[in-house]
Amino acid sequence: MSAMRLLLGGAWSAGRILKWVLAGVAAIVVLVWSARGVNLSFAELVRGLPWVADLVSRMVPPNLGFLERLVRPVVETVQIALWGTLLAVLLALPLCFVAARNLSPSLALFHFMRQVLNALRGINEIIFALIFVAAVGLGPFAGVLALSIHGAGMLGKFFAEAIEEIDAGPVEALRATGAGPVLVVVFGVLPQVIPSWIASTLYRFEVNLRAATILGMIGAGGIGFELVSSMKLFQYQDTATCVLVILAMVMTADYLSSRLRARILAS
Amino acid sequence: MIEVTGLTKTYGKIAALRGVDLSVASGEMCVVLGPSGAGKSTLLRCVNRLVEPTSGTIVVGGLPAPRGRAELRELRRHVGMIFQDHNLVPRLSVLKNVLTGRLASMPVLTSVVQLFPRADVEVALHALERVALADRAMDRADRLSGGQQQRVGIARALAQQPQVILADEPVASLDPKTARVVLDDLRRAAHELGIAVLCNLHQVEYAIEFADRIVGIGAGRVVFEGTPAQLDDVALARIYPGLTAARARSGEVAGDQAEAVMQP
Repeated sequence: MSAMRLLLGGAWSAGRILKWVLAGVAAIVVLVWSARGVNLSFAELVRGLPWVADLVSRMVPPNLGFLERLVRPVVETVQIALWGTLLAVLLALPLCFVAARNLSPSLALFHFMRQVLNALRGINEIIFALIFVAAVGLGPFAGVLALSIHGAGMLGKFFAEAIEEIDAGPVEALRATGAGPVLVVVFGVLPQVIPSWIASTLYRFEVNLRAATILGMIGAGGIGFELVSSMKLFQYQDTATCVLVILAMVMTADYLSSRLRARILAS
Repeated sequence: MIEVTGLTKTYGKIAALRGVDLSVASGEMCVVLGPSGAGKSTLLRCVNRLVEPTSGTIVVGGLPAPRGRAELRELRRHVGMIFQDHNLVPRLSVLKNVLTGRLASMPVLTSVVQLFPRADVEVALHALERVALADRAMDRADRLSGGQQQRVGIARALAQQPQVILADEPVASLDPKTARVVLDDLRRAAHELGIAVLCNLHQVEYAIEFADRIVGIGAGRVVFEGTPAQLDDVALARIYPGLTAARARSGEVAGDQAEAVMQP
């Protein structure tokens, strides 16, 4: 008797073992094929290491004098995230009721709106930003629009899912009093979803702030512009400062938003 | 006040109600008894059209069958409903929950911004006094006990100043002492305010204790109608076929596991 026992669960018939072997072989084939596609090479990495070390050595110490020039871009980044989030909420609010199965006026509209939200969410904010830079010109406003459109898709889905999770009892009770549809939503639905909506919005702000730090790379405002220009000018000590500032911003936002969300969801 | 004639309701091929005649007068507490699946809940929900009847007529307070949304809401305004799980909005205050009973009579725009006419707040507070919970008006509804929440549900129905109250198994989740307080509140609403109360129960002893009149439903039909005194063993056997009268009286009438579990 062995002291160990392998527990695989279920009956392991020959057919089932064959299926797993075939799946394993298929996975290995796909991975090798992809590795060749992306020129995966440890040798290249090792050969490149001295260059990485060289770049890092040029980055230290970070140029703290550059901080002064980063104040305005940092503020702008926060402003982009703020308005990107607010506009996303305003866009998502009317859409989410149609995209919630239990409140949607019709099943066809429900499926249509879910697909619209999927499309908005599926396209990366950078792609939207490229489009809006072309449409409204370089600058932070293009970034705001990109974040609001992509964010509306995300928040619309979160808001709709919160509506689908509510207790239907109070809604039925309010309908039974003869209250009209607007008041049924305001008194029966909103009190049940508001905490979850606020939590989703805070999370979205967090995500938007991260996204806003790179929008500048394509000219849509924020600190990303300083990051890219410093690299183009080979001012790697300035680049290091940018990276540190971005890290500080993102960590602060993460910390504050997760604390706030925990407090709201607990109440 | 409620006149039901030849009411039927079928879900697909299943007949929930097969021709029910029933009338409830103003100020009368009428209790509907019957095993689970007999159609009690469907009967109640047909009265305020949460369930659309298949055929038959229901006249509530002289209002005919509603045509269109406006008439439907006008009908519901006069019909209060009390649910087994009280169906309060958990995060709203007790007072706001009671005020939701007045939503159909209040202006939409001001209500949205939580601004309520003084007269409606008075009606709501008065309804809370009737169930002896005025001192909890500002508490959040989910802070209250199950029995208190159900009484807030009654206050919400009273705030509608209804002609009719429908109560669907209002005490199924409550202990006997609390259940009696809730049923007493309902009976006083009928006797003191002249409201027609139609109440589903599955405990025979409560029906005998609180009803002015008992209607027994079996397999979608009325199989008994009379005063609590007339509810003898023969009648019980008609309402609960397959159960001895003694077992029916002892409360084993739920007939279904899910409801039996909720018995305290």
